[in-house]
Amino acid sequence: MTTAHHPPTPQVLELPEPGAPPRPVRPGAGAWLALTVAEARMVARDTAGLVIPLGMPLLVLVMNGLAPGLDQVVPGTGGRTALDVYVLPLTLTMVVATVGVINMPSFLAYYRRTGVLKRLGVTPASPAMVLGAQAFVGVAQILLGIALALGVAFVWLGASPPAAPWVAAGVLALAIAAMYAIGMFVAAVAPTPGSAVAIGLVAFFALGALGGLFGPRENLPDALATLGGWLPFGAAVDALGAAWAGLAVPAPALVGLGASTVVAGGAAAAWFRWE
Amino acid sequence: MTALVAQHLRKTYRTRGRGRPPVVALDDVSLSVGPGEVAGVLGRNGAGKSTTVELLAGARAPDAGRVRVLGLDPRADRGRVRGVLGVQLQGAYLHGALTVRELVRLYRSFYPRGLDPDRLIERVGLGASRDVRFEKLSGGQQQRVSVALALVGAPRAVILDELTTGLDPEARRSMWSLVEDLRADGVTVLLVSHLMEEVERLCDHVTILDAGRVVARGTADQLVDRAGLQPTVTLRTDDPGAADLLARLPAVEHVDTTGPRLVVTGAAATGSTTTDDPARGDLLHAVGAALAAAGVVATETQLRRPTLDDAFLALTGDPLEAS
Repeated sequence: MTTAHHPPTPQVLELPEPGAPPRPVRPGAGAWLALTVAEARMVARDTAGLVIPLGMPLLVLVMNGLAPGLDQVVPGTGGRTALDVYVLPLTLTMVVATVGVINMPSFLAYYRRTGVLKRLGVTPASPAMVLGAQAFVGVAQILLGIALALGVAFVWLGASPPAAPWVAAGVLALAIAAMYAIGMFVAAVAPTPGSAVAIGLVAFFALGALGGLFGPRENLPDALATLGGWLPFGAAVDALGAAWAGLAVPAPALVGLGASTVVAGGAAAAWFRWE
Repeated sequence: MTALVAQHLRKTYRTRGRGRPPVVALDDVSLSVGPGEVAGVLGRNGAGKSTTVELLAGARAPDAGRVRVLGLDPRADRGRVRGVLGVQLQGAYLHGALTVRELVRLYRSFYPRGLDPDRLIERVGLGASRDVRFEKLSGGQQQRVSVALALVGAPRAVILDELTTGLDPEARRSMWSLVEDLRADGVTVLLVSHLMEEVERLCDHVTILDAGRVVARGTADQLVDRAGLQPTVTLRTDDPGAADLLARLPAVEHVDTTGPRLVVTGAAATGSTTTDDPARGDLLHAVGAALAAAGVVATETQLRRPTLDDAFLALTGDPLEAS
């Protein structure tokens, strides 16, 4: 392989063990770590995908926080203001929903369309590991978005911490599960990366509109307002608001979040295609 | 033990639209590659090459037939096969925002043993682009990344689908020398290609696919013989009697004349089908001697032996490049 024009190339291809029976190879902790780091890099280098979940909720928080009357104490909430029991829960729910319903499906649809999942399928790593790594990185991104929002709310807007922090944490976990399930469903039904973004945005705005994103749910017709309280966006806002106020979390909210997780997650599992 | 085996593979794909019949991608395709062999699969676009690769790699299941990689079923024995089989899939993209180095290191992490990522990157000629994101690379560079990823786990068998598509001649030669290295290391290689030169140069034997079927298999020389192709001698002469003179020679099948240019086709060898048949090697000599004896002046005399390209054409009925 040495030619007249080229210096000898260093031999890097090692001799394989001849005749040794192949051993089963399972990706170890190193592979999981490497794939998680890879997904984190993909997410961090996707500027548009960072602006939506980190920037948009912050904007909603600050614009609402500047409105008059939000510093008024809501009766029966232990001194919490409208900012605490309504705007903050809305902001945190937005962070969860944008990552789960818009960003994650667009990554998965892109990986499927471009053959990334298929390529991983012929290595010892399985394409399912990408889902796991994406979900993990998504949670990290959600926690970052929540930390940003809470930081701004506490430092500049005078917000109070939740009266029941563990309830708030539990509700957040449930909300993440529900939004991820819907995101996986979007990834399952979207034929192309472009349509995944479109379907994700429509799902986000539909859930948001019914969940109080563009104005109080009480302004909606009764049936839609009730429906909005069951669907995951409104349910997460209600449940987080209750946790902030130290009130009992409304049953429809919990049932709605749980049911969304099971139904959307089950449909996604049934319909998800790897290629 | 045969390293790669495909037996009677059949694969159909459903087509969009109600009532349309499924497309038969592969119909009764068999091939086998011995350990340490470099085998070629040749065919035009749509012949079923990539489907064959995907079935061998276990990326898809065949409708019928059997696949074995080092004696194992790549789907049932996924865990064992994945560690020893390197695959370069045609058209499979990678994480676009990751750099060459990040990608090679990522894929290296999937295998318990394998090659050093940095040296492998140098070896495929991407040393200068190691910190460039995959999405910013040229098509040829992306191709080289995917070759590196197929090799990073130090596989015992490698399937390379369109190894050198999109590469410039120098990079192509470098890839060919990489395959020679693999051969020297005893790695089994299945090379899918539509480049005759590549297959003729690297492969111990070739399987030609056409429209989802195997139309021929053998060494390049065997395929040329099977296609019934004969060597030709071309020459220029102003002598009007030269064509008739040459056509009467026993070693000559027929002579085509275009102005002063003659194309002399050798006669089919009788009894023997090997390329070192004296009747073939002697065509140039027979033509030269006959012309000299008759005092005919000929210039630009050239012997042209049939190539795998010609054999492919003859065996599949269409020129490869027209696809």
